[in-house]
Amino acid sequence: MSVALGLVAAVLVQFALQSVHVWSALAACQPVLLVVVASARRLRPTSVAWLGLGAGLATDLLAGRVIGPGGVAGAAAGALVAHVIRKFELEGPLFWIVGSLLAATSGEVVWLALTTSLGAQPDHGPIGVLAAVATTGMLGLLVAAAERAWAWWISPERRRRRGLRSR
Amino acid sequence: MARFRLRPATALVLACVGLYVAAAAQVRSGRGTALSLAFDAVSTPPLALVAALSSLWDDVTSGRHDLKTTLGDVRDLRREVAELRQSNQLLAAELAAMRQGSRLLAGLPTLSENASVAQVVARDLFVTHTMVLDRGARHGVALDAPVLGETGVLGRVDRVYGASCRVQLLTHPAAAAAARPVGFDAEGLLEGGDQPRLTGLPPYTEVSAETAVVTTGSEGIYPPGLLLGVTGESHTEGLFTSVKVILAARPAEAIVVAILPAGRGQP
Repeated sequence: MSVALGLVAAVLVQFALQSVHVWSALAACQPVLLVVVASARRLRPTSVAWLGLGAGLATDLLAGRVIGPGGVAGAAAGALVAHVIRKFELEGPLFWIVGSLLAATSGEVVWLALTTSLGAQPDHGPIGVLAAVATTGMLGLLVAAAERAWAWWISPERRRRRGLRSR
Repeated sequence: MARFRLRPATALVLACVGLYVAAAAQVRSGRGTALSLAFDAVSTPPLALVAALSSLWDDVTSGRHDLKTTLGDVRDLRREVAELRQSNQLLAAELAAMRQGSRLLAGLPTLSENASVAQVVARDLFVTHTMVLDRGARHGVALDAPVLGETGVLGRVDRVYGASCRVQLLTHPAAAAAARPVGFDAEGLLEGGDQPRLTGLPPYTEVSAETAVVTTGSEGIYPPGLLLGVTGESHTEGLFTSVKVILAARPAEAIVVAILPAGRGQP
């Protein structure tokens, strides 16, 4: 349920980033891929791939491009991320950073290859791919930092220190 | 009943393939969608192959039919050629016989009035020394009728049937004819056999080689003056001179012969 809610939120954020040109570089960011990365902790690789397929289709819809290649690329990225995380047992900040970079890179590469194989004109080239990988990776880094901060905030150690200070 | 259960991974792969095909159907180029182009690219070679195979099959069928027709024509032509060859052989043999008969009658101007021409049907030159002619009693052939070839006397009729007769050749051991060398008054007896000879000539008669030997008609069978052969080596045996005779007639080459009326000799 939380994965579905996260996916919906990510889609909304991505839609907002692409619609409101606050900063054009953020338009390349794909928050939905972070939901796929996050699901790799709980779901099996096949389920992660299905989730990546849905996320990719949502990205295609939001970008207004040919529907299909993004789904296939999302599925491939989800399967790859899930396998890599399980293989190397990634935890903590490394989980988010490696997962987001890997998902963005593999998804963009597969999408670009599929689009080119269909003879369609991609809406962005290698620069756009780099931008998507960089912004998504940056977002993963932020999520990792936020997770670390949240873990520090709710840690028993901090609670004991606050208790000692109040006395 | 077998139940088909789709595994999630397989379903995922199928979904991805379906998405790719759907995307191909969306992408448009100048000549149509990418899907239609891909379908054309994939389906054109098999269709061309099927068309080529169909054309090849038509050619093979047509070729087989043509081959069958041609073989039938060749068979008919071969049969026709064989018939023509046989007919040609028969005509050639008939022509040769007619030529020989013509030469035969031309060589016997005095005898040709009463002579009848016959064709040789069969011959046995080595065992019975006879030949069979296609003329018999029905055609007026009588026993002891002289038979002449193109180059001389062949023999006499020794058996008469209804439509054929048998000729005893001069090479028969029992054959004989009264004869004399040309230029001699002395008469001898030509005895047949493998080596015919003229016997009964006076002793020490000098007969030069290559002298023609003709009939005298004394035996009552052959008319006088018919060529029997030419002389060879002569020698005296006892009281008489014997001369080898090389027969003029060649029974092996005789196709048409002349049958003279019987009893025209001078006994």
